[in-house]
Amino acid sequence: MEKFSYVNATSLKQVTSLLSDSGWGEIMMIAGGTDLLAELKEYIETPKTLINLKTLPGMDSISADASGLKIGALTTVAEIAMHPTIQHHYTVLAQAAASVATPQIRNVGTLGGNLCQRPRCWYYRDETVSCLKKGGDLCYAVEGLSKYHAIFGGDPVYIVHPSDIAPALIALNASIKIVGPEGEKTIKVEEFFTLPAANPFRENVLEPNEIVVEVHVPKPNPNTKSLYLKAREKGAPDFALASVAGVFEVMGRTCQAASIVLGGVAPAPWRSTDAETALTGKMINDSVSAKAGEEAVKNAQPLNDNEYKVTLTQNLISRAAMMAVSK
Amino acid sequence: MSEKKEYKVIGTRPIRHDGVDKVTGRAIYGADFQITGLLHGRVLRSPHAHARIVSIDTSRAEAHPGVKGVVTAEDLPAAEDKMADLGEGAVSLKYLCDNILASDKALYKGHAIAAVAATSPHIAEEACELIDVEYEVLPPVLEVRQAMESDAPILHENLRTSSLGETGDKPSNIASHFQHKKGDIDKGFDEADVIIEREFVTGTVHQGYIEPHNATALYNPDGQLTVWCSTQGAFTVREQLAEILQYPISKIKVVPLEIGGGFGGKINVYVKPVAALLAKKTGKPVKVLMNRADVFEGTGPTPASYITIKMGATNDGKITAAQTSLVFEAGAYPGSPVGAGAMCVFAPYNIENVVIDGYDVVVNKPKTAPYRAPGATNAAFGTETVVDELAEKLNIDPLEIRLMNGAKEGDRRADGPVYPRIGFIETLEAAKEHPHYASPNGKKYHGRGIASGFWFNIGLESSVTINVNPDGTVNLVEGSTDIGGTRASIAMQAAEVLGIPAESVNPTVVDTNSIGYTAVTGGSRTTYATGYAAYEAAQDVVQQMKARAAKLWDVDEDNVQFADGEFSSINGKEEQISFRDLSARLGETGGPVIGRATMNPAGAGGAFATHVVDVEVDVDTGKVEILRYTATQDAGKAIHPSYVEGQIQGGVVQGIGWALNEEYIYNDEGEMTNASFLDYRMPTCLDLPMIDAVIVEVPNPGHPYGVRGVGEVPIVPPPAAIANAIYDAVGIRMTELPMSPDRLLKAMGKI
Repeated sequence: MEKFSYVNATSLKQVTSLLSDSGWGEIMMIAGGTDLLAELKEYIETPKTLINLKTLPGMDSISADASGLKIGALTTVAEIAMHPTIQHHYTVLAQAAASVATPQIRNVGTLGGNLCQRPRCWYYRDETVSCLKKGGDLCYAVEGLSKYHAIFGGDPVYIVHPSDIAPALIALNASIKIVGPEGEKTIKVEEFFTLPAANPFRENVLEPNEIVVEVHVPKPNPNTKSLYLKAREKGAPDFALASVAGVFEVMGRTCQAASIVLGGVAPAPWRSTDAETALTGKMINDSVSAKAGEEAVKNAQPLNDNEYKVTLTQNLISRAAMMAVSK
Repeated sequence: MSEKKEYKVIGTRPIRHDGVDKVTGRAIYGADFQITGLLHGRVLRSPHAHARIVSIDTSRAEAHPGVKGVVTAEDLPAAEDKMADLGEGAVSLKYLCDNILASDKALYKGHAIAAVAATSPHIAEEACELIDVEYEVLPPVLEVRQAMESDAPILHENLRTSSLGETGDKPSNIASHFQHKKGDIDKGFDEADVIIEREFVTGTVHQGYIEPHNATALYNPDGQLTVWCSTQGAFTVREQLAEILQYPISKIKVVPLEIGGGFGGKINVYVKPVAALLAKKTGKPVKVLMNRADVFEGTGPTPASYITIKMGATNDGKITAAQTSLVFEAGAYPGSPVGAGAMCVFAPYNIENVVIDGYDVVVNKPKTAPYRAPGATNAAFGTETVVDELAEKLNIDPLEIRLMNGAKEGDRRADGPVYPRIGFIETLEAAKEHPHYASPNGKKYHGRGIASGFWFNIGLESSVTINVNPDGTVNLVEGSTDIGGTRASIAMQAAEVLGIPAESVNPTVVDTNSIGYTAVTGGSRTTYATGYAAYEAAQDVVQQMKARAAKLWDVDEDNVQFADGEFSSINGKEEQISFRDLSARLGETGGPVIGRATMNPAGAGGAFATHVVDVEVDVDTGKVEILRYTATQDAGKAIHPSYVEGQIQGGVVQGIGWALNEEYIYNDEGEMTNASFLDYRMPTCLDLPMIDAVIVEVPNPGHPYGVRGVGEVPIVPPPAAIANAIYDAVGIRMTELPMSPDRLLKAMGKI
């Protein structure tokens, strides 16, 4: 870990003006620190200054009303996982949050940090490797070891986005409020994340002087059933080999609308419009759900070691669809 | 089954003597150790798996502010190729030294190259970056079959294969090949109606102890070297330091601190000699701590292996022949546990015709270290899978085929020894009688697997002294590192002899200047051998105290008897005095009483285990869930049943991790890509059911209370038991470890 100075944040204005002074990496923000500290220790990031966001007032609460949820970026993952309204009406979000890491990490890790966490790719995390993501020439996963890498949207960087919460928020059609020196703006969470073809170095549209402050989640229709399925090698802590955030509007066994977003399979949360189309308006049964899985992966492009993820993703989508119409 | 003796202390479950210190955080571990003037050391490690070291320039690091000293292999005494005697067999001194600090070649990524002592750990880390090492990078060899090919890159130009007494004439990565033979293998297979032959591959697996390696060393101007550290054996550290540093053993004191797990991985030294070199160079105490990546990349895991097993049986289930080739990774230097694997591979069965070939092969990975029944788990994965397949082919219950062929007293193992009284059959019977085995097993994608295992256990040297206190308690002094509750299990054996409660014995593990030689806590020997020494030392106390009672009563010593904590006279006077009351009168009867005993017992008595596991295979995701687990094991006599159960449960859990998730993942350059506990997946409580530990007691004739070592054998059956359960669930034979979701999906034809 390199030496750095540490500044307690007092206002968003102060934070964005401090950030304006530098490009990426010179001045960084820390909240829970569960990802950033490991990056500092391993010399993946070597900032000169850290801004402690935990001292910002009023950004760590959840409010729920008839229109939906507002969740401050400093809200912990544990608070989201255990919030009764979220568990009841936004089940996919509670389940996704509960699947993150361990109780200790959920107790300090924040919503903003979860959305902005960096990839777990073993080439990216190796300080001695200068890969494409870090400004080098190659994504080593293409020819190297790719067991945990992307099967969708990889070109030219085959990381997977590690967030569990992000697919759930996108499936719920959530928006994200971002503050920068010019003021605030709100965009869809789906538009927040970017693919490496657009920018191989970052996973979202944030500029170096912008900060995520809040997430808005519209209230789902009453006939909504939502769920999060996460396949991993061990119980915890483990990132998804593949995950499915599914939000279904169901009448009996008929799926009136489906929102299906995948985690762990692409450099950004990956909406499967193919699966959504295959399910929408259909009576869900074994063959329809199986078909949705097949459709979802028909354009998958696995690397040398991750073909199993295609099977896994396909089966998880089928399972999610069947669970949506089960009692 | 066994004659039941009445004990007052043995078999009870007192609170362990070190419990309060550990749960309140007061116990001092290596990283906690502090001393005035302490410097902090850091080791520079090779980024390459295989490279010639062309030059090392430490000048920039030495000039860095705060740096007090830098060492390389040049600071080690010249290691001409002589053999070092470490008490447990000879080892090449050059290999031993080169693994501490590489001299001519870096043989694995993480191989120590140089080390820095500085005023803070951060400065030491910075300074490592300033050491300029020029490498000539060589192609690595990472797998035994590749390493054995004639055109494979050679790790050691001087290494010649030692094969069945002959030495090869050209460089090779095969360090040695040995063979055990029994009977006539061709005749055995001719008699068989069914023959199964299979190949197995197991991955490189780490012990996964929580506490990283550590050492603090101090050189006094008088030449006395003191090392505070966590280790499985202070005396073996002293021996290794004396050999590596070529320093008089009498000038080295090793002080063992508490240990946060070892499982075999804390017998070999890594940073201890480095700390000593830095301390000598700087004149200050130097502490060196590893981080987790250092532990994975720079210490010995247990070897990956390639195993073939061929077994034949008659239609009525008699196993007539068994043949195996065990090819084990030694890592960078010769010395895999293939020899132990060969002792265990067919050990549970009485088979007339056996051939066992073992190969020790060097590869560009860390030099392997022991891990809980080293070699036996790899071997049993093969054997127990093939036995399961034989049972299936012959339509015999898998427990029955083991009962039919199970080894008993008087049977001879293929590598020579004839079994004394052993309890394998009893573990099978206990499994058969357990409600688990009778419970329903027929749900779709659910399966049940059985496997057995053997570990021979060892004796070796132990020393114990017992000082009697005036209040009737005793201080028990020992040299065995307490990893799994052995302070308690050793103290209880002394308490039983003395007729006092376990709590009245205060056990202390002391440094190498303060007790007689005591071998490592390993080989499941400690409760057996050091416990035996405690028993004998307590007998010595009783003898001496009888003399004191005789003096008090003015009777002949032979006329004093001791039972239930009371001394009494026979033949004449009706005198009686309790152990406690007599303890208060030692001064007036001749001075303090110190009991002592040293042991090197030969009758360790092998341990057998039989495991039953139920799994559910998620055929959509390839994930295996352990639903129920029952482990039966012959403990001989369980001194402290809670700690026997703890050992069984711990071994099973590590076996489950080995079976399902754990492995070093190497890229083509020989770099481990998953050197963290996040990416190297050890099981947690979420991955495990309650492990039902069933203690079977067939007393070991080689110990006064019948103790057999219990720590190691429970890791042996799990991978095979789980593989057999997976087969029962989905009809797929898994022959490669770990059986992770990707491999299982592939094997099931889902990819």
